[in-house]
Amino acid sequence: MSRFYRTPRQWLLVLFCWITLSALAQEEVKLAPVTRTYAITNVNIIQGPSRKVDMGTVIIRNGVIQNVGKNLAIPADAVVIKADSMYVYAGFIDGYSRAGVVKPKDEPNRERPKDPGNPEPAQAGITPQNDVRTSLNPAEKSVEDLRALGFTTAQVVPYGGMLPGSAAIVQLGGSAANDMVLLGNSSFYSELTSAQRVYPSTVIGVMSKYRELYRQASQAKTYESLYASNRAGLERPVNDKILEAFYPVIDKRVPVLFKAERILDVNRVITLQKELGFNVVLGDVKEGWDMINKIKAANARVFLSLDLPDAVKEEKKDDKKEESKKPADAEKESLEKRKAEAIAQYTAQASVFQKAGVTFGFSTASAKTKDIPANLRRMIAAGLTEDQALAALTTTPAQMLGIGDRVGTVDNGKIANLVITDKSYFNEKSKVRYVFVDGVLYKYDVKEEKKADPKSGNAKKADPNGKWSYTTETPQGNSTGVIKIKNDGGSYSGTITSSMSGQETELNSIVVEGNSLTFSFGFNAGGGTMNIEVSLTIDGSDFEGTMSVGSFGSFPMRGSKEPNK
Amino acid sequence: MKRIFISLMLLATACLVFAQVDRGNVLIKGGTVLTVTKGTLENTDVLVKDGKISQIGKGIATPAGYRVVDATGMFVMPGIIDAHSHAGLDAINEATAPVTAEVFTGDAVNPFQVGLYRALAGGVTAIHAMHGSANAIGGECETVKLRYGVKDPEAMKMEGAPRTIKFALGENPTRVHGSGNGIVPRTRMGVEFVIRESFSQAKAYMEAWDAYNKAKVQKGFRGAPPAYNRRLETLADILKGNIIIHCHSYRADEIYMLLNVCKDFGIKRLVFQHVNEGFKVAPELAAYGAGASVFSDWWAYKFEVYYSTAYNAAILTKNGVTTSINSDDGELMRHLYHEAGKTQKYGQLSDDEALALITINPAKQLGVDNRIGSIEVGKDADIAIFKNHPLSIYTIPMITIVDGVVRFDREKDADDQRIYVDPKQTIDVTLHTATGHDHESCMQGAEYQTARLFGFNLLEK
Repeated sequence: MSRFYRTPRQWLLVLFCWITLSALAQEEVKLAPVTRTYAITNVNIIQGPSRKVDMGTVIIRNGVIQNVGKNLAIPADAVVIKADSMYVYAGFIDGYSRAGVVKPKDEPNRERPKDPGNPEPAQAGITPQNDVRTSLNPAEKSVEDLRALGFTTAQVVPYGGMLPGSAAIVQLGGSAANDMVLLGNSSFYSELTSAQRVYPSTVIGVMSKYRELYRQASQAKTYESLYASNRAGLERPVNDKILEAFYPVIDKRVPVLFKAERILDVNRVITLQKELGFNVVLGDVKEGWDMINKIKAANARVFLSLDLPDAVKEEKKDDKKEESKKPADAEKESLEKRKAEAIAQYTAQASVFQKAGVTFGFSTASAKTKDIPANLRRMIAAGLTEDQALAALTTTPAQMLGIGDRVGTVDNGKIANLVITDKSYFNEKSKVRYVFVDGVLYKYDVKEEKKADPKSGNAKKADPNGKWSYTTETPQGNSTGVIKIKNDGGSYSGTITSSMSGQETELNSIVVEGNSLTFSFGFNAGGGTMNIEVSLTIDGSDFEGTMSVGSFGSFPMRGSKEPNK
Repeated sequence: MKRIFISLMLLATACLVFAQVDRGNVLIKGGTVLTVTKGTLENTDVLVKDGKISQIGKGIATPAGYRVVDATGMFVMPGIIDAHSHAGLDAINEATAPVTAEVFTGDAVNPFQVGLYRALAGGVTAIHAMHGSANAIGGECETVKLRYGVKDPEAMKMEGAPRTIKFALGENPTRVHGSGNGIVPRTRMGVEFVIRESFSQAKAYMEAWDAYNKAKVQKGFRGAPPAYNRRLETLADILKGNIIIHCHSYRADEIYMLLNVCKDFGIKRLVFQHVNEGFKVAPELAAYGAGASVFSDWWAYKFEVYYSTAYNAAILTKNGVTTSINSDDGELMRHLYHEAGKTQKYGQLSDDEALALITINPAKQLGVDNRIGSIEVGKDADIAIFKNHPLSIYTIPMITIVDGVVRFDREKDADDQRIYVDPKQTIDVTLHTATGHDHESCMQGAEYQTARLFGFNLLEK
């Protein structure tokens, strides 16, 4: 019997083995699919804008669309998806976002830079030699979220400062980073984002640095080819990864994808484009309608943002008795009216671009994923046709990104990127039921809609507890920091820090109502105290709002919760 | 003085692409025309064709299609020019290095700032939108016309205006870089060193390029060009006389220092800003041909600005220095006519001398006096119309015209003058708020610390 008694060490070994095995068992065992052939039957096929086949069949084999049409023979090995009266579209293409890109861990450098005028390039946000393909992960939640809306392809960009690196076009699926990549080095990604506390710390610094690097790169490139043609007697060119990254742009083999949300960003990007002459793609344009002539003159391609300002809430009119209006009411009314007009302009942007004949796709870079279908419907209500919206989601971006031979329509031979919805995609009640990415099926169960609990109202109570990192946009650049909030048995307490000072300040009058969070903090300086008021709306693990700094005005503030450690 | 600023236009016009600018046709009837340079004309009409003043005289018939502005009983003066402003800019200070000659505020023009409209409502038609004073050598500045209402920032820029650049002496650059970052300049000696070193480097850079360009055209030449450097490019353009220096300064010694530095490097185009102790070196400034742009009576906001006098503008003027009065401030810029009027109390300047401080003199300092700054045939129709004399405390700006286009009309002044409305902005009702309290009083002294905390730049003055 003695051999059955194990020493404690042996027991430990067994225990470890068991733990390891059970851990493995919990992971989904990756089996090769039984078949890679699918037949989607009895479905309304929207092959592309204005190209429809009623009640047809789509056959997919080995990741490729094999056949599209009516009365097709179903292959014996096919999984049949009875999509009776459903709609199938080509998977949507997101022109610019960070879906599937792993966010680098932000370690705010609290050290005071010794010589802020001469930072390391990386500290200044200058890393154009980086490649987004090195930071992809198909398991990122952003991939799943976009895919659930019918997006199957995206041009993604790296995180960083003014020159984060090169973009890639990826499939929103797969099990490894390499599976995702459709095309590397699709754009040279740029932003007008300034560095923090080091040069270039303002937009004027960024624009100057951009010009200088571009011209230095042109100069280096010219000298390199001179050297290559005959090396004798010439000084060896210096190898510079940063300048080399510009070469494909200078040769116009790769366009510059420039983030350009606001009208002044668009203008600044076009200013640089005019001077330097690169091919430009404007990314996530939110406010471009007054720049259309310039956009056309610059021959710029455009990805319009799928983010829209919140729609005006319809107020219930229960003021039966006409109260005498105070002057302030009249003022408020006219201010609200202008706000509503402004919102209408944002919503109509796509339609205005369409009418002006500017080709555009869409980008999800800053859009809240869950708002995207509704925002598309708002754009359609504002004058865009469904076909035009579909083109901007499929065929146009496919052409713009140079992948029109592979994706963008439901045609024989194309990559099997498909989205199947139970009603027309742009119908308010439509639900995505199936998505194919590279011929891999993702199913979506339709949940019964729960009726909102009348007691709790519609607004979910947000949870402000925890550590939040934030960014505020001031006219002089961005400032970041951390807000910590703690629930002390019903009442909240917390602190805020800023990257500018490193100081930690107590928060006052923290109020949480529904998903709104407001607080203020005193800033003691020079013998006087200034009150800074912050008003935020929490949406899950993100917030957005404004920071009002006395007479300086108010500035947008956004942030996200840091995971608990 | 004129000699220095003459023919500046020719240098800059060739290389600029002009944005579309609205130009109007107007007949301003029956006003008292304060031409500033050619005397005062009673009951006189000013005809504006395509944005330019085409005729000045009595009883001019209204051409078809012209807008008529009845200025009977009112005063018609050239649009006010503010030679020192930071309005209409999204970025002011690239405060990370003592020399940032390569940056350009023209890249940050924001035509949507309502403050620009408020300036128009004070008769201002052009401003010098400057880089801040954090650096010994700051960035290039933009001369902006207040065509408020346009959406293209390029259309705000005064086409063809000469290039200008901001320099700064004294406490600001030494505080930011010396005490702030422990680098040169820590003292006024350091500031001088930084400027001299920069010019010397630029000279070497310019020479290296000249040598390369000469060698390049030789047959069989092979070699590398000097490394392209925007900072030195800009500094070299100063040495070549293509850029006017506008230097933030207070003390007589530092002003005299920069005169000597510029003399050593052959730089002639130079205007001092603030220049509170300018009255001590007025003859030297006049002899050099340097301009001075001053506050009427603002001082003692830091140590280097205690020795000041409200007679500064008058003393400088009487010594033959081309002098202007500026605002450097969003509120002050709305009543520069009052600021000019103060020189009649402190210095007994004539009406024309006082008005010149906010019209033709700043135009000279910006190198645009052939275009704006007085009411003369052929000049841009940038005109301000006042009820009561503009130097009277009872004056009211009524109409402001830029390029013949009425951009402000007191009779048609709407409550909400924003061009773009931020749909995410929370709306503040300004009327009848119960808890209106004044933020200004509790901001005393907090500006600098706030700037450090949130990255604002408040180092302009």
